[in-house]
Amino acid sequence: MRPHRVLRYLLCTALALTSLYAAAEKPTVIRIGVAQQGAGDPPTFGGSTAATVQNQQLLEKEFAADGIKVQWLFFKGAGPAVNEAIADDALDFAYQGDLPSVLARANGLKTRILLESGVRSGVKVGVPPDSDIKSIKDLKDRRVAIFRGTNLQLVADNALAANQLDEHALRVINLDIASSLAALASKGIDASVNDYHLYRLRDQGLARIVYESQHDGPQFTRQAHLLVLDGFEKAHPDIVQRVVNVFVQAAQWSSDEANRDALFKLWAKSGVSYASWQAEFAEQPLKYRNSPLIDPFIVARYKAVAQDALRLKLIRQPVDVDSWFEPRYLENALRAQKLEHYWTRYDAAGKPLG
Amino acid sequence: MRISLARRPTRPVCACEATVETRRRRVDLRGVALPIVAVALWWALSASHVVKSGLLVSPVDVLRTAYEQAGSGALVRALLASLAREACGFAIGATAGFLLGGALGLSRIAARIVGPSFDTFKQISLFAWIPLISVWFGLGDAAKVVFLSLAALLPVAAHTCDGIHAVPRKYVELANALRYSRLQLIRYVLLPAALPSIFTGLYLALIHSWLATLGAEYLLVAGSGIGNLLIDGSEQFRMDIVLFGIVVVGVTGWALNALARRVERTVLSRLHIANQ
Amino acid sequence: MTDTAITISPDTPRATASHIGTAGTHVHARSRAALRACAWHLAPWLLPALLFLLWSVGCARGWIAPQILPAPQRVYDTLVDLALSGELARNTLISLQRVLLGFAGGTLLGFTIGGALGLSRTLEAWVLPSFNAVVQIPVLGWLPFLLLLVGVGEPLKYLLIGHAALVPVTLSTMQGFRQAPAALDEVARVYAYTRWQRIVRLVLPAAVPTLATGVRLAFTKAWLALVVVELVASSEGLGYLIVYGRQLFQLDLVMASVVVVGVIGLVINRLLDALEKRLRRGTPSAFRA
Repeated sequence: MRPHRVLRYLLCTALALTSLYAAAEKPTVIRIGVAQQGAGDPPTFGGSTAATVQNQQLLEKEFAADGIKVQWLFFKGAGPAVNEAIADDALDFAYQGDLPSVLARANGLKTRILLESGVRSGVKVGVPPDSDIKSIKDLKDRRVAIFRGTNLQLVADNALAANQLDEHALRVINLDIASSLAALASKGIDASVNDYHLYRLRDQGLARIVYESQHDGPQFTRQAHLLVLDGFEKAHPDIVQRVVNVFVQAAQWSSDEANRDALFKLWAKSGVSYASWQAEFAEQPLKYRNSPLIDPFIVARYKAVAQDALRLKLIRQPVDVDSWFEPRYLENALRAQKLEHYWTRYDAAGKPLG
Repeated sequence: MRISLARRPTRPVCACEATVETRRRRVDLRGVALPIVAVALWWALSASHVVKSGLLVSPVDVLRTAYEQAGSGALVRALLASLAREACGFAIGATAGFLLGGALGLSRIAARIVGPSFDTFKQISLFAWIPLISVWFGLGDAAKVVFLSLAALLPVAAHTCDGIHAVPRKYVELANALRYSRLQLIRYVLLPAALPSIFTGLYLALIHSWLATLGAEYLLVAGSGIGNLLIDGSEQFRMDIVLFGIVVVGVTGWALNALARRVERTVLSRLHIANQ
Repeated sequence: MTDTAITISPDTPRATASHIGTAGTHVHARSRAALRACAWHLAPWLLPALLFLLWSVGCARGWIAPQILPAPQRVYDTLVDLALSGELARNTLISLQRVLLGFAGGTLLGFTIGGALGLSRTLEAWVLPSFNAVVQIPVLGWLPFLLLLVGVGEPLKYLLIGHAALVPVTLSTMQGFRQAPAALDEVARVYAYTRWQRIVRLVLPAAVPTLATGVRLAFTKAWLALVVVELVASSEGLGYLIVYGRQLFQLDLVMASVVVVGVIGLVINRLLDALEKRLRRGTPSAFRA
């Protein structure tokens, strides 16, 4: 096993070196990992700018003329599984949440965050309809499903901490989204920390939502981003710029309130219903959630995630966040598309700047 | 009566299945009664709606699902995917296992150096390696095939080695007396004598790799296959898919066993070797 | 693998050395023989040592990324951390408790069912074909079904582990009771044993070796079932530690847990091995046809 791996690694290094020398050499395929299970036929997802890009096939259209194919790879294991794929060099870009990327960075994976895609979303805690759990406090000693290593975990931990609890006070089972929904429906668990997928269960009468975190403060929100592997960025900065351009375009379309209806219908192709999207984005302007900006709020949030992860012993050494972001491409795209003032910038506490 | 006693086999009957088959030829109907009663009870229970649970699907639902799956080609696709992976893993693992077992059996030095480590490795639960294998080989088919190969390799290597070691001394002495070369010794004496044991190993490897196929599909979820069908069914909360999947898994397992036994019987009878 | 029936390879260590005759080289020969004997004893450690060396050097030199294969020192440190914090003991005990209880339950049930099927031809005729059909479904095939039926709690683990142990024990018990040689019938007739006496004094002791093998196999399957069910859905246990490490991308935690799983499985297997050998040795050879 190991000699094979060494050989493969050597081969990959050799190939990478040759590819560096032939810098004009274009890749034949761009691989983007998505930290979600793809649903529907063909598989797709929803809830963020990345989903819009994938649904509308914008990248495929952009690179069709160059003969570059675009491969979207879905991972049922979400963020952690994407990390394994990155470590394996099986991806070029990844759409991932804040915590899993921090975990990867703490373990030495070299990536750069290009732009945000899906910010200020929260977690929801669902329980069976006849359960006696009314709030987070009642979760003590209960069996709770938390998808470890995804950005759901840290918000859950913060919510628990705000109620003087921690994970050890619960019996935590690690289940992916689909499994935890099934377990909740069959009453196999007492509660599930989940995302917008819970709305479907609620509408079917199979679950009750006892807590939604997105309005409770910055530390109860989670963010997701598009990142690129260091190697790919150094080799093909032009392609990275073009990808970012497409994402910014899609972000603008997804932030336009006139497109709200069309947006939810587009995302509904992933099996999460129109009604669920309406509930998820209720009382929130699209611009607020689909902003791609890397502003002080985002930087502060990622720093907080890194600190919390260290404190909770999810990582063993501190992570430097400042050098992680690469906003250069985003700024170029904003300038080129004249969108510098389209989205509001927020400060570290979440208040609008200027 | 004494004659019939003397004719009774003095060696214990080996395989349970053999005994079952002889019995089945005589008392076929009694064995079928229990399943029929069980299915009838099941159908009655589900039709009467006594138990209110989404889980109690009727046999008719399962049959309908079976028809859908078979008709839409989903079943064939999933089955082919699983079997292809298993065949691949089994082929690689069995070959490697055969070579390893042969080396361990034939060479005392190899047995001394590699044997104890192999013995130890054999006793470690293979499924614990899956998370590591998935990180080392990715989430796709490569990892699954590696895992399946390992699952097939262990029994084949162990039984080949044991088979060679169990060859009676007198055969070897006879070959030495006839001045057989090493190669001739292996080809004409050791291999044929060890063949029943090797086949037991191959047979076990088939069973283990089918088990490993399922486990790998649960734990390395990417891709399609029967295991994925089962897990998806349980996640979508559809008992009919799960039951259908179980039947398919059982039937496939039985078919593989039957195939292996048929091949074993043919090969051994061709070579005129008595099956012990 | 220890007793070879074939002496193909030359050079048993002591054989050649002792034939060297001349007085002058006698001492030389003895030390060479001693060296050979030493090498022979240490040979099993050669392969593990080599692999360990490869692992350490590979990590130190950075041939392999540390996310893919953590350094041995890291894994050792994590193991020590786990042990000191009590996490290791807690999770190991929970896993052991699950497997031992499930195994015991499954084995007892297996003895009962297998015994009944083995002793009563009628029962066997009614029940065995159904049992055989159920047996065709591998243990893991039942996991999704049980997941739907009983959810992700403790019953899931006990049921699965129990089933994993039940099948081999039932089959081997049946075989053990059926394979009683004809000679036993004659002995029973001579002594005019009742049916019960026949079972307890003749059939049971003769079946013990087969039972022992079945129990041994049952444990292997039970351990395997435990690992899989803990990997799929558990809130504590060794498999849970593996999943935790994997989700948080801490490969050293995964490896440390795999080591512990391996060691425990090994130890129990060796114990059962010794037990089986004991039981086989104790069987009077007169009852073997």
